[in-house]
Amino acid sequence: MLEDSGFVDIVIGPSVDTFGGAGGESKARLFEVFGYPFLARKPG
Amino acid sequence: MSVDAPGVVAVDVHALREEVKNKYREVAIDPHGAHHFHTGRYLARHLGYDDTLVASLPDAAVESFAGVANPFSLRPLSKGERVVDVGSGAGFDSFVAAHQVGATGQVVGVDMTEEMLAKSRSTVSKLGLKNVEFREGLAEQLPVEDGWADVVISNGVINLCADKRATFSEIHRVLRPGGRLQFADIANGKPVPESAIRNIDLWTA
Repeated sequence: MLEDSGFVDIVIGPSVDTFGGAGGESKARLFEVFGYPFLARKPG
Repeated sequence: MSVDAPGVVAVDVHALREEVKNKYREVAIDPHGAHHFHTGRYLARHLGYDDTLVASLPDAAVESFAGVANPFSLRPLSKGERVVDVGSGAGFDSFVAAHQVGATGQVVGVDMTEEMLAKSRSTVSKLGLKNVEFREGLAEQLPVEDGWADVVISNGVINLCADKRATFSEIHRVLRPGGRLQFADIANGKPVPESAIRNIDLWTA
């Protein structure tokens, strides 16, 4: 979707266990939900 | 209004916004309450933010932080850059950005939740910062002129937007050519059932 929106040079960083130890952990585990940093550039 | 198109999840957009506002109103007013996610200084440390910088910020700037990863981890900001923070909440990432861009830079935080805006604006006033301001607005309709930003940041917000394509398009609009999008968000490794996606209550649960 980032590419479709005109972004290039897309980088996805390492996952983070965002919900580990939090109330939403069980749901996060169920769907393998993790946090990620993203980097992208607008051409020009 | 319900929308169903590529990049658009079929939910009532206005109902979803109200649900998100209600959730983050709770986080603004009662940051230490029973939320399904971590908040505050514990979360900032968990996500790898600079301890010294976080320690220098007042509680009001940090306690309602509810990000999902660190948008500065792949590339720190540079002095003098102009930054838009989409879904700035109580301002935590905006204040981190303000520190990185320095006095010659500028940060505009945008949020739709009144209680978060009140909190972030109060902190700006207390800190006497001249390079940070907070504006009311939506991720899909940013109150920022075309090509103004060197960098757009966001943290845990885009996953809560029903029309992600519109959100990315709007971010693209406010970035200058060559500008960067640095955001943090969640992604699921296993598919979420359509019935769950359509249940607005589950978006913030």
